[in-house]
Amino acid sequence: MSLVRLRAIVQRHWIVLRRAPHRWFEISFWPVMDVLLWGSLGAFVAQENESSRAGAPYLLAGMVMFWTFTQAQFAIALGVNEETWTRNILNVLTTPVREIEYVVGIAVFGLLKLAACLATLTITTIVFFGFDLSDVGWGVIPIVMLLVINGWALAMLTVGMVLRFGQSAEILIWGFNYALMAFSGVFFPSEYLPDLLAKVAGVLPTTLAFKALRALLDGNPLPWGTLGWSLVGSVIALLLTTSFAAWLLRMFRRRGFVTRYS
Amino acid sequence: MSGPNPVVRARAVVKRFGAKTAVGGVDLDVAPAERVGLLGPNGAGKTTTLLMLLGVVTPDSGSIDLVGHRLPRHRTKALARVGFVAGYLPLPENLKVREALTIFAGFYGIRRPQPVIDAAIDRFGIAHLADQQSRELSSGQRTLVSIVKSTLHRPDLLVLDEPTASLDPDVAGRVRTTMLEIHRETGAALLVTSHNMREVETLCERVVILSQGTVAADGTPSEVAAAFDTDDLEGAFLEVAFRARHAGADDRLGDASGEHEGFHR
Repeated sequence: MSLVRLRAIVQRHWIVLRRAPHRWFEISFWPVMDVLLWGSLGAFVAQENESSRAGAPYLLAGMVMFWTFTQAQFAIALGVNEETWTRNILNVLTTPVREIEYVVGIAVFGLLKLAACLATLTITTIVFFGFDLSDVGWGVIPIVMLLVINGWALAMLTVGMVLRFGQSAEILIWGFNYALMAFSGVFFPSEYLPDLLAKVAGVLPTTLAFKALRALLDGNPLPWGTLGWSLVGSVIALLLTTSFAAWLLRMFRRRGFVTRYS
Repeated sequence: MSGPNPVVRARAVVKRFGAKTAVGGVDLDVAPAERVGLLGPNGAGKTTTLLMLLGVVTPDSGSIDLVGHRLPRHRTKALARVGFVAGYLPLPENLKVREALTIFAGFYGIRRPQPVIDAAIDRFGIAHLADQQSRELSSGQRTLVSIVKSTLHRPDLLVLDEPTASLDPDVAGRVRTTMLEIHRETGAALLVTSHNMREVETLCERVVILSQGTVAADGTPSEVAAAFDTDDLEGAFLEVAFRARHAGADDRLGDASGEHEGFHR
């Protein structure tokens, strides 16, 4: 792994972000709009009756953490897509940059974007709803880490699909993300999903991470057992999807799919 | 034809895409500091061959050593000593020329890129382009900047895929001059594809003509012309293209009549 090459990859994506105002929407506009929408819904539900009071923090914290997952996913998935959109893949593939270096570089840059996004959302929830996620305590950090790993795992799945099926598969970046939102119990316990879906959702590592988040919000200690199972599932998901992407990358090279982008 | 340690050494390289054989067993050596033109009619397998030599496309069989490193295992080491320019390939949008050069210098592992880039900008006379957005460049300027980008790390081999396609004769001439200057100054070998035979005769001391995925001729431009009993390289190229077209027609006839193999005999 070359630090010089990693630095160049981070620098390349920083310049793209700096130069393109619409890219800031991923970090600020969409997350803030989501938090305002769901936070307001939570506030409405909370004032209806006493038993609904917990709904607001569930919605706010759920949305902030869902954007944690999304930022990690978008960093890699859209980072690779940036090279397809600008027909730069062949330029990159004919340099000494390794695929793993490229993915690590955009993941690192994604963490910087994630920090900016979380800071923006924290300020938004404090200013508009008087809700500070950091009040929950340090327990939120392992949950953030789990969601980042899952975001990377989902990104590798979609990167593989784009390598195999071309730009028509880009829609999966947003589609899979939305599906995970629906099935992960982001705002409520997954048991409330329809029976069959609840069974599937119950084993997703993201569901376990959001379950741990709600335990913290309810004032309970961090459920290390739940987090442990989530970690096991997250690592398996990352290994599987990375292997899948590596397999499709080999196919990409074998079938000469690079010509789609040159 | 090639020295003891060629910068390119390809043996029996085969690439098929479905039923179509794009490259059917190519052997190719390029010696250090040699200038080689890779020619052939459209669909002859030139770009596929180049992409395999660069490790971008994996051959079905055969072996490739690039600047002494076996592909695909040592792709990174090999590409650290190779530059690639394609006339059809844009520089990344949203980047100014200097920024693009800085990033590619990083990709090539140059720790302190700015002095190298400053020197290259001076050397190629593109100071007026340094702060322009890549997407604002003309075709000729883009090709020139691509050459600068691909030579920042002083490669042992510069691979150029149709570098002057779509350039006017004046700009194309300057690009050729630049490539020859790089070759003289750095000793880099050149491997060039082009459909401009005069360009190839100017640039290359040796030409390899591909036809239907195999090597149809290999030698100096005059040797290749003589082999086809023509006056110049263009004549040889046209002869190869003519034969390929007829072979293709024969194949189609053979396929249609179910006498594919027997038809050629």
